[in-house]
Amino acid sequence: MTTPDTTQSPGCPFSGVPADNGSAEAAFPGAAAGVPGTIPAAGEFREAPVADWVTIPDLYRDPFPIYRRMREEAPVHWVPAVNRYMVTGYAACHTIEQDDATFSADETGSLMKRSMGHSMLRKDDPEHRVERDSYGSTLRPGTIKNHWKALFEANNEKYLRELEAKGSGADFVWDYAAPYAAENLRLVCGFHNATQQDLQRWSQTMIDGTGNYADDADVWEKSARSSAEVDAAIDEMLPYFRKNPDHSLLSGLASMPIPLEAIRANLKMTIGGGLNEPRDVLGTTVWALLENPDQLASLQEDPKLHAAAFEESVRWVAPIGMYPREATRDTVLEGIRLPKGARIGVVIGAANRDPAVFENPETYNIHRPRKPHLGFGGGTHFCAGTWVARTQVAQVAMPALFDRFPRLRLDPSAETVDAGWVFRGMLKMPVRWD
Amino acid sequence: MNTVTFIQPSGAPATVSVEPGTSLMRAAVTNGVDGIVGECGGQAMCATCHVYVRPEFAAALPEPSDDEEEMLDCTTAERTELSRLGCQIKACAELDGIVVDVPAEQV
Repeated sequence: MTTPDTTQSPGCPFSGVPADNGSAEAAFPGAAAGVPGTIPAAGEFREAPVADWVTIPDLYRDPFPIYRRMREEAPVHWVPAVNRYMVTGYAACHTIEQDDATFSADETGSLMKRSMGHSMLRKDDPEHRVERDSYGSTLRPGTIKNHWKALFEANNEKYLRELEAKGSGADFVWDYAAPYAAENLRLVCGFHNATQQDLQRWSQTMIDGTGNYADDADVWEKSARSSAEVDAAIDEMLPYFRKNPDHSLLSGLASMPIPLEAIRANLKMTIGGGLNEPRDVLGTTVWALLENPDQLASLQEDPKLHAAAFEESVRWVAPIGMYPREATRDTVLEGIRLPKGARIGVVIGAANRDPAVFENPETYNIHRPRKPHLGFGGGTHFCAGTWVARTQVAQVAMPALFDRFPRLRLDPSAETVDAGWVFRGMLKMPVRWD
Repeated sequence: MNTVTFIQPSGAPATVSVEPGTSLMRAAVTNGVDGIVGECGGQAMCATCHVYVRPEFAAALPEPSDDEEEMLDCTTAERTELSRLGCQIKACAELDGIVVDVPAEQV
């Protein structure tokens, strides 16, 4: 079994967080720029409190009590174990998302750049904008409705049938959600020369590489091998699509004046972010509903609630819980000083449980008053796959799943495991049905 | 400067003054007008800056792009013939004093 979240041992793919306490300086010799105390404090702001009590293993197991304690103390902390400032308040996270001039996505020393190349996720506008636009209409609602949705439905039917064939006691994530999300992503990207298993392997090994702060040669080797496989697959598909265009990302990119290097990096980022996230949201949503039978019952009476169940799940357990930014100048965020060069973790997993915005934020409640969560990020880097995720999970997978398995339940004789903080999802979720 | 008036579902108005070229979404968000979210920062990707433009201003509006058109099908509150995305409409002399109704729901 592969692990969906690599943030415990190899560190963090999308955020660039080191794996374990103490290795940060070794991995990032120049990273001391943002350490509090290196620049004298002054004026009407305060230094970030130091959360030296936070450890990565604790975050990995269950970050939410930690986030609660941090939020109650201050919206921004310096966290030595993570070697960056962690921003846990909703307002502060929102401010960062809307101000990409002060908070750059182009992080210094990003291992993601080494593992996947320099993708648009680590670029700022206007460079980011050109590449984002190069994805065209593939991920937009019109193309999804007219083209992808029917393919997602066919894939869903196939993998639900496979789950059923495995028999009661099968694992919801590994026997259904993962291959379903991988096959959808394979088509959306346009990898007609690969399998969904390839996509799962590429995603995991390159994410492991991105989090390889221990500089493990074996991890780099596997990541580099996948990266080369993706390059070869892209090289093969681009000429094909010039003659046989379809609705996929690669097909659109085949006729665009975008450097090959950028196409490769962006596709690798999309493989990393487009597979684990829908898989994990699907797992978390179904888990939450099975744990709250009254909410599941109301959803089965009113199918319109699938969308609410999905959004509430993304709020409650954001599948990407944190992503990095870097301060481009000295600044003050919600009263806390951040020096130029400060390495920042935008903890949307914490912001989404800020009681200043959400009542009873720790509770999964599909009936709560609807308010904008930050689960898809915001501003110029707002998740490009938002509508694909909403469609494949809330519109296609969930209604069909509960239709086919009306008595779906967690296996009472087996352990269910949820874990992770930079990425969070279900590691084990055996289910039963009649 | 141009003015934009946002009318809340309760009927309460908020009039703001902005530089020409400022989108209605940005005008609302930077002035703390309730009910306009603008999650995606103005790239016609999230449908959370939905407004109903009063019909008397319809003639001066730009035609919606394909991107805006498909996104208007994704609004939480019902789409009507008055529906537009606030991020795609810029304050200008022709639209000075524009009045829009804020829908009851954006998400």
